[in-house]
Amino acid sequence: MSLNSFKRALWLYLINTGSCNGCDIEIVAALTPRYDVERFGIVLVGSPRHADVLLVTGPVSQQMAPRLKRVYEQIPDPKVVLQVGSCGMEGGVFYESYNLVGPVDQIIPVDVYVPGCPPRPEAVIEGVVKAWVKLEKAAEQRIT
Amino acid sequence: MATLEFGLDFWDPIVCVIAFLVLIAVAYLLRSRGQKKYKKGTVQTQIFLSGEEPPDVEQRHIKAHNIYWGFFQALKGYYDPTIKAHTGIINDYIIWFAAIAAITAVILFIVG
Repeated sequence: MSLNSFKRALWLYLINTGSCNGCDIEIVAALTPRYDVERFGIVLVGSPRHADVLLVTGPVSQQMAPRLKRVYEQIPDPKVVLQVGSCGMEGGVFYESYNLVGPVDQIIPVDVYVPGCPPRPEAVIEGVVKAWVKLEKAAEQRIT
Repeated sequence: MATLEFGLDFWDPIVCVIAFLVLIAVAYLLRSRGQKKYKKGTVQTQIFLSGEEPPDVEQRHIKAHNIYWGFFQALKGYYDPTIKAHTGIINDYIIWFAAIAAITAVILFIVG
């Protein structure tokens, strides 16, 4: 699929909502020379206000839920949420923990799920591509 | 307006004004290409503070008093009672004045 409407680089903001850091390491691995997604313009940014995609890792602890909501709301539209890792879907190794309010899709709407504990960088990249396609469709709808 | 010559260098107000206008135009061009889709009046236009609600503008400023933290900390024994004595009530100051004046008068009377 060619990108005709969403013509700029894809900027992502990563938020860890209580993850063990495994998924975060795999995401960072996608930026290393082996995969080097930055050559496609896929960049991690330091503020959600600059981002198009929100990458969420972790099962969402009580403390992180309001922060996650706020970060989601700070991203300008159109935006896509990419949830990375099993614990954000059903708790994973943190299942039934006393301080969880997740999964992620009970706090904010999720567009793309990347399962795995942790998922490999290839899976994360495929999720990002799916998120990009969603943004392209959203941009197309805005233009037409 | 004349151009000032400094050997190999020069200064001309017209050149300065033109350079300033060019920089303003470049800054405006960069700014106009920025994100315009922020919804006004929502959290999207607020500063990002790692997901925290930003405090009021007054609370965000670092007070000049902080610069003297070490100074006040070192002289805590002196400042704590002194600051307590400065109540801001004029009656207290008059009492202090009267008391110190009386003590001084007694000392002067004894010493002669």
